[in-house]
Amino acid sequence: MDLAFSTEDDEFRDEVRTWLAENTPSERRPRAGQGVRDYDLAWQRLQHDAGWAGISWPVEFGGRGLPLTQQLIWFEEYARTGMRGIDSRFVGLSHAGPTLIARATDEQRSFHLPKILRGDVIWCQGFSEPEAGSDLASLRTRAVVDGDELVVTGQKIWTSFADLADYQELLVRTNTEVSKHKGITWVVCDMRSPGIDIRPIKTMEGGTDFCEVFYDEVRIPLANVVGGIDNGWSVAMSTLSFERGTGFIVDQVQLSSTVERLIDVAREKGLLGDEEIARALSHARADVASLRALTYVGISRNLHAPEPGPEGSIVKLHWADLSKRIARLAVDVVGPRSLALGDDDDGDWAVRYLSSFANSIGGGTSEIQRNIIGERVLGLPR
Amino acid sequence: MDLLPSSEQDEIISSAAQFLLGTLPVTRTRELIGDASNVDAKAWTLAAELGWFALGLPEEVGGVGCGLTDEALVFREIGRALASGPFLSTTLAARVAAFAGDADLAASVAGGQQVALGLLGVGATIDPGSGTVDGDLHLVDAAEADLVLVPGADMTSLVALADLEEVVSVECIDPTTRLSRGTASRVRPVVSVTSEVDPVSRRGGVLAAASLTGIAEATRDISAAHAASRVQFDRPIGVNQAVKHACADMAVRAELAWAQTLFAAVTTDEHREDAEFHALGAKVVGADAAERNAAATVQVLGGMGFTFEHDANLYLKRAYVLGYAFGDTRDALSRLIRLPAAL
Repeated sequence: MDLAFSTEDDEFRDEVRTWLAENTPSERRPRAGQGVRDYDLAWQRLQHDAGWAGISWPVEFGGRGLPLTQQLIWFEEYARTGMRGIDSRFVGLSHAGPTLIARATDEQRSFHLPKILRGDVIWCQGFSEPEAGSDLASLRTRAVVDGDELVVTGQKIWTSFADLADYQELLVRTNTEVSKHKGITWVVCDMRSPGIDIRPIKTMEGGTDFCEVFYDEVRIPLANVVGGIDNGWSVAMSTLSFERGTGFIVDQVQLSSTVERLIDVAREKGLLGDEEIARALSHARADVASLRALTYVGISRNLHAPEPGPEGSIVKLHWADLSKRIARLAVDVVGPRSLALGDDDDGDWAVRYLSSFANSIGGGTSEIQRNIIGERVLGLPR
Repeated sequence: MDLLPSSEQDEIISSAAQFLLGTLPVTRTRELIGDASNVDAKAWTLAAELGWFALGLPEEVGGVGCGLTDEALVFREIGRALASGPFLSTTLAARVAAFAGDADLAASVAGGQQVALGLLGVGATIDPGSGTVDGDLHLVDAAEADLVLVPGADMTSLVALADLEEVVSVECIDPTTRLSRGTASRVRPVVSVTSEVDPVSRRGGVLAAASLTGIAEATRDISAAHAASRVQFDRPIGVNQAVKHACADMAVRAELAWAQTLFAAVTTDEHREDAEFHALGAKVVGADAAERNAAATVQVLGGMGFTFEHDANLYLKRAYVLGYAFGDTRDALSRLIRLPAAL
């Protein structure tokens, strides 16, 4: 066992660090609207043109084919810049992209993957429905084959950035005659298709990234189906395992930087002499260190066996709990200045605190993660 | 970067596990509960012959020359097997003797001369310059020991048990551990080393964390097996989320404890500047995982878990004792917050 990075890795890190120092956007990211899309895509384009897009993606799909350790190095350095880990590029880069690489046809890959890497497009996810949340397989959005098209009617919900997106990874029911897991299809939906109606949902921290999406006889070419008709459940599971496996690395690593920043804030405010705050911050240090160690163990596993396993749920669950705890600790450190939900540094902690409630819901609730760990890691009965 | 065990390390793990299962199973540890000593003489001698007390010592001072990471693999198995005896203090005492330049003593300890662990009582001190120990000590597993390892953050000493006053044996919360108390009146060490020469206390903390991880894993497995097989209301109790999720949380804590223990061991082996940071983190996370998993196991097992006959209580008690070894959580946290950030 070792934590040593190779000479190439160290050179790569230097290169990444220098580039990020010179190119990370200095202007604040808009909080909502079209400006978010422009900001995020311009940032992706800049990274792409400098050769930083798809670091661990295969070369034939426009990536650089570098080992996951170098992708980790990128994430670690990226986290240090303070840029948010998850933005409107997330579904394309961490969800749809890896899923297309694993399951799509050559034609589908060569059409979509370069666009994702170049920053031409934004993707969103169409999985959850009002009656299919944790029980995703009970989804009802119906798709009927008509000639060489699917005709889709139904509703999706909790779709972040639907209003800004070009494409959607969409789960639809193509067969009602078989058991619920078997009649599902994973399809690429063009978000500008006629019959789509998008309505934003305001979230508890004031954001409007969240949307619900209505489909009224939306026609999608059969050529957009990934993994075959009625075979979408296994495709969706591979999507989610990528999300739980490597999708959150930036956020995991960023939590260390957050704790260190918080310790600086506490020091500036003269609070490190407060035994309760000092102890809580010290405990947070130990906890984020162990999260990072667990991330390294996960990456080590991935180097030996590329498809992430159910262990990803352990990382996701711990990250959710810990990030919420730290967000709450942060407003304690800031004190009453966190009452102002503002744009200054103190007010940012308040926004983070409110946002953190999403961490144990999105990407599978913490209750579902515990079920997965209980059943698939420990072998407990369903 | 690779945190998975190599094939040689897999070999260390399986041979340690097999040895403990065959020679020092929990049933044997239980048999020793009423005896004056908690050490099984045969198992102890075999462990010495296997090189366990010199595993991490450099070859030039008579050791096996493995890393702290390899030692951690062994101590994880010791924790999992609930093996009793002063494994931890004896292993680190061999280091103190070797790095202090006392080759004969190092060879004797590595060969199985037992050394107890001395915990500093309230107000007790170890002088960072001379290694002189002063004040009340809690002595762990001193039944057959002539020497006591007294670790401090900056200095670790070996003192002679005979130099302590008013040594009395007391009943330990953990019946598989032997406890006594004594007073040191400015006792000069037999040998001592500073943490700059060798970070003995840090290494002890990492190995304690490894044993604590073993406890967290063993109790997780006991709970999961019980939840899968115990039937109530016509179904295994593990179908209930109240039980299933308690087990899932145990799995999370055990994985975190092991990952951080490995990270701490490897950063020490690689002489990284943040090794102390990670070692303190490992001790905190390991102690938390072991005690909470053992406590949750008592709960998952219900009435059975509250009996002395079931092993759950022994794991809980051992976790509690190990929590004090090489700095308790309060001490580790107060030191961790003062360190520079990890790399």
